[in-house]
Amino acid sequence: MVHRTKKEGALRTGAASILESISDGVFTVDADWRITSFNRAAETITGIRRRDAIGKTCSDVFRASMCEADCALRHTVKTGKPIVNKSGYIVNAEGRRIPISLSTAILHNERGRIIGGAETFRDLSLVEELRKELEGRCQIGDLISRSAALRRICELLPQIAPSEATVLIHGETGTGKELLARAIHTLSPRKNKPFVPVNCGALPDTLLESELFGYVKGAFTGAAADKPGRFALAEGGTVFLDEIGDISPAMQVRLLRVLQERTYEPLGGTQTRHADVRIIAATHRDLAALIRKGAFREDLFYRLNVVKLDLPPLRKRKEDVPLLVEHFVARFNRRQGKLVAGVAPDVMALLMAHDYPGNVRELENIIERAFVLCGAGRIERVHLPPELTGQPAVTPAPAGDTIAAQTRVAEAQAIRTALEQHGFNRLAAASALGLHKSTLFRKINALRIELPEKDGRSRGQKRVIGDKPR
Amino acid sequence: MKVALATWNGRISPVFDVARQILLLDVADGRVIARREETLPGDEMQAQAGQLATLGAQVLICGAISHSMAAVLAGKGIRVIPFTAGAVEEVVAAWLAGSLPSAVLSMPGCCGQQKRCRHGRAGQRNERPWACKQEEA
Repeated sequence: MVHRTKKEGALRTGAASILESISDGVFTVDADWRITSFNRAAETITGIRRRDAIGKTCSDVFRASMCEADCALRHTVKTGKPIVNKSGYIVNAEGRRIPISLSTAILHNERGRIIGGAETFRDLSLVEELRKELEGRCQIGDLISRSAALRRICELLPQIAPSEATVLIHGETGTGKELLARAIHTLSPRKNKPFVPVNCGALPDTLLESELFGYVKGAFTGAAADKPGRFALAEGGTVFLDEIGDISPAMQVRLLRVLQERTYEPLGGTQTRHADVRIIAATHRDLAALIRKGAFREDLFYRLNVVKLDLPPLRKRKEDVPLLVEHFVARFNRRQGKLVAGVAPDVMALLMAHDYPGNVRELENIIERAFVLCGAGRIERVHLPPELTGQPAVTPAPAGDTIAAQTRVAEAQAIRTALEQHGFNRLAAASALGLHKSTLFRKINALRIELPEKDGRSRGQKRVIGDKPR
Repeated sequence: MKVALATWNGRISPVFDVARQILLLDVADGRVIARREETLPGDEMQAQAGQLATLGAQVLICGAISHSMAAVLAGKGIRVIPFTAGAVEEVVAAWLAGSLPSAVLSMPGCCGQQKRCRHGRAGQRNERPWACKQEEA
């Protein structure tokens, strides 16, 4: 052994203290791949005590996915080049795979001969977990989300779907209630039978009754033959009752019977039919409030509310806007054979700032509209509807106005647009409109068009009439 | 009985999840009556376990193994003797002598694992009750 000077000894102790204090695992091996040092972080990450590790073959201690086929240190010894941040995993003493990133270095003696190597590794478990969190998104058709509320629904679906339980979906318009209902149907054992949606709010009571339960020949004038209702059409499948909060009290009683006894009678019929259907209902209304007002039957509510799913509005899950935009852009590209690359950053900012009273459907329409105007490249601000960009929309003339009044509105709009396009340079705007500048000035005054402080003249400073230049 | 040993460079392969080579032994009356080398895919768990099952292995002697990999093997009815380390021939001899798992031929962090677990010294950092359960089975 080489005699060490005091200075060397102190240096080594200093280095050892530093290695002990860092959070990266570090170990060194000799030329026979046996471990010669093992720091505290290495103990923590691998779950192996230093005294158990020292002197053992490094692969038996480190147990990394790359040990066998692609040992980083072996590679470094062979090529002389260090490896930085190679990723893989180790299997710790508890049998857990721990993702790591690994760097290597060669150790030389005073004469420059290789005496071993050092490996530094970092526990990436937390990073990996966060990455999964970010990537972890759920998708049910157009229902794509990273939000916690929707992910909970996604996790629940496999349990809810196979059961026969009635499901009540609550969500604003455009949040994807029917999509969710379809997803439940598709995941259920009834998937090969029909899925029959009925919008209860769209039909008057009597019509809804004949729609749902059907009628028999002669039930009313014009009932020339038997007509099966939606419950009969959905036999063995699922009936989706949308806008259930809009049905009349009389209809609520009839539905209650179907839910309780699974039986119904077609309009004008005497024979009771059995309904083998699963019912999924949806509403945008607050049924509890309707019950308090006496507009909705409590017993029907409890029959429907076996499993309740709340679809959050898009404004409460804004983090999903970029995901949905990406999804819709890809879909319209596919459908329309276009090559739109995505949206410009300022467009995304506008889309994120919007409140979406129409929810996902509104966002889809915004993207579809942009596709009409934009064939390739990125969707820019000009492709967005005016209510999003904050530009005043063309104010439609109030109906019933005289032709003169409507002409004035149209004229004012044309002048405003021309002025904006020419940076409020009136001469340029006038020539673009095919007017003399005096006519334009007259019209601006007559139509009371407001102009900004800066008037767009190239000479710079605004002049006041009568103030002659010296 | 068919016993498979995950091998690498004459030793037990460090991580079975990515092991690519096995030594397959036919053991009868405490003697090896046939031995041959086989390869494994070395990547996907189901494929890894599937290949081992196809080869008819009933026992696997291997190095480190992840929980999930061990569970897949258990699903295929393969008994696992995990966290074994050492030269292949030494491990074979120990298996034939009935002394596996052994403290000497265990990976560090798992030394004397069975005794420790059985003597109920729970709470130790190196305790691996799940591995012991398999071994006791």
